[in-house]
Amino acid sequence: MRDLFTGNFGIDPLTGQSILSEILFYLPNTLELVLFSFIILVIVGVAIGYVAGMHFSTIRDSIARVAYLVSWSTPMYLAAIVAILVFAHWIPIFPSGGMYSLSIPPPQPITGISLIDALIEFDMPFFLSGIQHLILPALALAFVNFGLISRAVRSSILNVRWSTYVKTARAKGLSEPEVRRRHILRNALIDATSLSAVIFGWVLTSTVVVEELFSWPGLGQFAYQSIYGNDYPALVPVVVVFTLGVIIANFVADVAYSLLDPRIVLGSQNVTVT
Amino acid sequence: MSQSLKFKDLVLSSRLSCLGLIIVVVSVIMAVAFSILGARVTPYNPFVLNLQESNLPPSLAHFFGTDFQGRDVFSRVIAALPIDLGLPIAIVLLSSILGIFLGMAAGYLGGVVDEVIMRITDLFLAFPTLIMVLAVAATLGSGIINAMLAFVFVWWPPYVRLVRGGVLEVVAEDFISISKALNSSFGYIILKGILPNVLPSVLTYATLDIGTALLEVSILGFLGIGIPPNTPELGVMVGSISYGLYTYPWQALFPAFVTMILVVGFSFLGEGAREASDVKVRPYILFKTRVFGKRQEKPIPATTAT
Repeated sequence: MRDLFTGNFGIDPLTGQSILSEILFYLPNTLELVLFSFIILVIVGVAIGYVAGMHFSTIRDSIARVAYLVSWSTPMYLAAIVAILVFAHWIPIFPSGGMYSLSIPPPQPITGISLIDALIEFDMPFFLSGIQHLILPALALAFVNFGLISRAVRSSILNVRWSTYVKTARAKGLSEPEVRRRHILRNALIDATSLSAVIFGWVLTSTVVVEELFSWPGLGQFAYQSIYGNDYPALVPVVVVFTLGVIIANFVADVAYSLLDPRIVLGSQNVTVT
Repeated sequence: MSQSLKFKDLVLSSRLSCLGLIIVVVSVIMAVAFSILGARVTPYNPFVLNLQESNLPPSLAHFFGTDFQGRDVFSRVIAALPIDLGLPIAIVLLSSILGIFLGMAAGYLGGVVDEVIMRITDLFLAFPTLIMVLAVAATLGSGIINAMLAFVFVWWPPYVRLVRGGVLEVVAEDFISISKALNSSFGYIILKGILPNVLPSVLTYATLDIGTALLEVSILGFLGIGIPPNTPELGVMVGSISYGLYTYPWQALFPAFVTMILVVGFSFLGEGAREASDVKVRPYILFKTRVFGKRQEKPIPATTAT
């Protein structure tokens, strides 16, 4: 048990290396992929949910709803396969796998996340190659996971659109964009924030499939290989790391929640949410 | 009860959920037909190898082409339906029964029971589902039943939360305390008082959840963990092609698209049901269905008190 907290996970019987060093090697790569696609999916998801909510029961709403339902019903591997087939094989503009071209030397590790390192060191060729490799897997991940956030934004907009305090805001003489931005969208973002922790967990676990298909050297692929190879000594720490990731995401979401919503005070027991 | 009739009307009032219902019903009929009649309902036998016809592209003879062992992909997709629908339904059914049982106990009995059940539930909720399923399925070994057990093992916690929340709401209602004052039996309160009020939300969630379970089942098949290779299962069919993707894309694309359509069916249906049961939006739908034809401008806002 003490080893769990000190990070002493032992030696990986398959590779003979220390499991901690392996995880530390794979984790930044996964973080790079997950964070990038998470940013994309939050922006796209909120935008689509907002359009659907503000145009409730019109053709735009229907299109947005179909879009997010389809996104959320797409199997991870279908998104990845279609991405590879279309944008790497039929129209070869993106590479089908890997993290960067092997011909370009990687930058000195500073943060561990190679794209950020390249940016810090102004290593433009590497940065561009990294982005090029990143786009397809990140888009595939984002496409599959944005649906839930759109749905949450849409339904919270529907909740507040006709509420009395939005009417009050209009009655105060606020302009329509102002009302939408400060009262309707902000409320929707609060709901989206608490959900984004869950989605972050999903994106994190979806990497098992995406990294396998895009041969992205990350934690998901490591997890898959240790499951496939019955490598339990390596699998347990990986599950721990994934769980920690989800817990940290939840924590961040809680803090962001209290920052966004003035009604919520962290640690207070009597929260009144109307 | 008129309540349930209204609910059904609301589901049917949305085009999305109608489409979902059609997809679900058609696929279930096909699955049942295949599991009763076997290979007689498919154009080719999905299990017999025919190496002379391997890797054929889609044509009129083979709608979805053939796979590397010459089996008709379309027939195999139909053969996959019983597993791909049965497994998620079984998973969701078992999880929801477990959830109703534990959630009722936690919500109604309260105290130590509540505390113990909810802490265990929270513990399970913290684990990422897919990784846990993969790990448990790999530990249990290959097999459909094992895969199902692995899923149920991680699938039940949301149901406990959902049911417990519902129970807590219902228990606070007057009719329960009146029922208690009238000396109704424990079983009567549970079965007649609480269960009917909790069940709709569980049903709505479960419909959506079948889709999610289907996705994860097929991911399990795709990764080749838990579900035995060569089983007609959509994910397994997609996964078995990793080396010929560029040359024979149809072998992966068609099963994958069928998976998507199945999940879309359940999502549309569940989403329509959820929308219909949403108190905030419900007046609007009622309004729209009553005032037929011309669309009215603003909906009647629901009372915003929570």
